[in-house]
Amino acid sequence: MTTTLDQAWTLSPSVALRPEPFGALAYHFGNRKLIFLRRHELVAVVRALGEHPDARSALVAAGVPQAHHHAYAMALAGLAARDVIRRRPDGGENL
Amino acid sequence: MDAAPAATETDVALCEDDLAEDDTADEDLTMEDLIEEVSIDGMCGVY
Repeated sequence: MTTTLDQAWTLSPSVALRPEPFGALAYHFGNRKLIFLRRHELVAVVRALGEHPDARSALVAAGVPQAHHHAYAMALAGLAARDVIRRRPDGGENL
Repeated sequence: MDAAPAATETDVALCEDDLAEDDTADEDLTMEDLIEEVSIDGMCGVY
């Protein structure tokens, strides 16, 4: 079964990320959702998703410990549900 | 594209307080520790 971590993602073009001391604020201009990204590592992952073939490699590149991958997968799924991040249909890199 | 709305100082302070607590339980990281959706309806002056 393909999981969130095995899929290719990218930041939605409708989302602006603003750095904050705790991480970042994500604002979606279409659905007007405002979401706190509460870890700097998560911000790094979200920003880098489009440069990696799957989310797992983005987590590894950002230095997220393996023990936290499940929580990050859940968070990424939550961001996807809110269209903060989107699947890359080609599944390849979006450079 | 318009600029993203700013969070109120209270919102940011609350999130920073939560983050400080989260650091003490890093091994039990949950989705709620990572993301939090905020209703903009209750944020004065945001939009």
